[in-house]
Amino acid sequence: MAEEKKPEQRKKRRTATEAASKVAPMVKAMIGNVLQAKEEGKPIASTFICCCYDEIIHAMDIVPHWVENYAGICGAKRDAQRFLEKAEAGNLSRSLCTYALCGLGFDALREELGEMPPEPPWGGQVKPTVMLGSGQILCDPRNKWFQAAQHYMPDVPVCNVGLTWPLYEDDYDYHEVEGYYIKYFVEQLRGLVEFLEKYTGHKMDWDRLSELVDLTDRTWNLVWEAYELRRAVPTPMGTGDAMNTMVPMVFMMGTQEAYDFFKDLYDELKQKVADKEGVIPDEKYRLIWGGGLPSWFALGDFNYFNSKGAVFPVETTYRMIEATYNYDMDLSKISDPLEHIAWRWLKYWTYWYDKARKRPGSQPEVERLIQYIEDYKIDGIVMHEAFSCRTWHVGLIWQLNQLKKIYKDIPSLILESDIVDISSYNEADTRARIDAFIDVLEAAKRKGK
Amino acid sequence: MADFFAGVDIGSTMTKVAIMDGGIVASVIGPTGPEHRKLANKVMGEALAKAGLSFDEITYVVATGYGRINVPFADKQITEISCHARGIGSLLPAARTVIDIGGQDSKGIKLKDGRVVDFVMNDKCAAGTGRYLEVIAEALGVALDEIGRRSLEAEREVAISSTCTVFAEQEVVSRLAEGIPVEDLLAGIHKAIATRVYGMVNRLKIEREVAITGGGAKNIGLVKALEAKLGFQVLVPPEPLLTGAIGAALLGRDIVEEAVQSGLSLTRSERRLREATFFS
Repeated sequence: MAEEKKPEQRKKRRTATEAASKVAPMVKAMIGNVLQAKEEGKPIASTFICCCYDEIIHAMDIVPHWVENYAGICGAKRDAQRFLEKAEAGNLSRSLCTYALCGLGFDALREELGEMPPEPPWGGQVKPTVMLGSGQILCDPRNKWFQAAQHYMPDVPVCNVGLTWPLYEDDYDYHEVEGYYIKYFVEQLRGLVEFLEKYTGHKMDWDRLSELVDLTDRTWNLVWEAYELRRAVPTPMGTGDAMNTMVPMVFMMGTQEAYDFFKDLYDELKQKVADKEGVIPDEKYRLIWGGGLPSWFALGDFNYFNSKGAVFPVETTYRMIEATYNYDMDLSKISDPLEHIAWRWLKYWTYWYDKARKRPGSQPEVERLIQYIEDYKIDGIVMHEAFSCRTWHVGLIWQLNQLKKIYKDIPSLILESDIVDISSYNEADTRARIDAFIDVLEAAKRKGK
Repeated sequence: MADFFAGVDIGSTMTKVAIMDGGIVASVIGPTGPEHRKLANKVMGEALAKAGLSFDEITYVVATGYGRINVPFADKQITEISCHARGIGSLLPAARTVIDIGGQDSKGIKLKDGRVVDFVMNDKCAAGTGRYLEVIAEALGVALDEIGRRSLEAEREVAISSTCTVFAEQEVVSRLAEGIPVEDLLAGIHKAIATRVYGMVNRLKIEREVAITGGGAKNIGLVKALEAKLGFQVLVPPEPLLTGAIGAALLGRDIVEEAVQSGLSLTRSERRLREATFFS
């Protein structure tokens, strides 16, 4: 019998910041905490990135399990295929969100086996106590994923929290209706608290919630201040690292750990800026990651960009905060913690609306790109079309075309692959595109001289 | 003594070499095999023999194409996007859009003032590439270099709904079994590939004039189908397969001229053709 070949050993991706290198152990510990909580019989809530109610979960002493994060880990460990295939075998289409397929495939396999699948990445994904949907970001799996998961876990209740925000219209002032949205938002959050009290037996600690809401405000502002340091030339941190530092931003919000992490990051970046220490010694091209989730199995491509003299001082993906003191309202005056959460998020989602209305042909997403291109002295834009994620990727090409139409003809590159499904990825072809894009950037620079 | 420059374009299907001074001194086109390094050595040797030159007489060598890193004697590697743009800039200076249809991929390149301002590539799927035509030619039992001409003899154009190469092959075989003439099927196939390529390249907002390069440009049926889609005539260089190699040689000349003008020294490869292996 032929001996089975060992899988290719991959090197760990090199990070520019100390802070980013600490993230993998943090995630591992976070997943370890969920596994331990399961053993100890503590309530566990499966939920989503930017669910808007992190503080509620923590204030009720419920342990969150972030399903997209776990699917991303399976992708990054290049161990998602067996779960994708399991989901596909259950008649779920391969063209659905591959985060959801990976998570559902994992759940299906675990429930079928009656135990964790063999050698699951970082210990595995547990059966939760409750599953909490989140209607924000207009992502359908955020409501449908857990309903589908009930096929495998019919005894786990689902709460779909409908969190919406006003649609952008260039001829309509959304401020006229934002009060109605806040009222609805708060009702949804109140319903969530009731649901959690009923199914976990844990009571809401309202004083604790207020403390965590305040902690989250401070963390948001700290993240913004740290990321703004990346405007420096040379930039001290790139998007490759930001794909790590997003973890405490979107999976640990409302914890002291997240605040401390960003304090360390802020201090580190400030020192690097003072020392003029960049991601690479000779920074030639400054790029924006202008949309699309990354291929978690190919984060090394950011290092490949670096090897060609290109850095990413800024990205729109996973920059899920704004400084609350930049809002057009004084958030500190909202004392009710649920209403405070609602306003913080609604103002975030609508942050670029007013600016967009002032520029004919613009849209909030386009306006955000323009602002970052100017603030961070950007030479080119890179986007990633992940075939399985419609929500974040539909409209990217339109945004790019509109940006070029109403602002300037900036060099651009569209990468095509997926977030988890490695079968969509070809390293040689991807790097050939990057090489060609570098040629375009160089030609544009030469013309500008 | 004249300066000579060489461009070596190792594509997925064909390998091309052009040696140039003011014009083309010699060129070689041959199939790409599995061992690029040995192949690069061989075709360069053939081109030198045709030109009656020794390798020492070549001032600068630029390699391009997807196998460009496997040209050990090249002074520089440059992407095929830049080389095609430079080649077309010299051969057909009126072109603003380049459509390159290669063996395994297809590309669109937008030019402005002789420089690349944008590009798109299809490297995910065989549809829209030479591979698609190879598969269909084989399924219909027609020689690859005949399918373009035969498609123009069609009495009507049969709609081929599948864009996937595998499904298109199945569709063609089943339509053939229905008794539909080969020419009509070929007309439908060429329309399908032209539609797909047009859709991709139009992401760049196609501007006249449009030049077609690569092996696809040698297929008269495909050129006509693209012209029908575009609504105007396209430009085709005299030997479309050589566009990248010519561009590579010209970029080599640009590099040397710039270095001379600025007084900088050139970084060049070891000045001999190496009998390279995968271990070198």
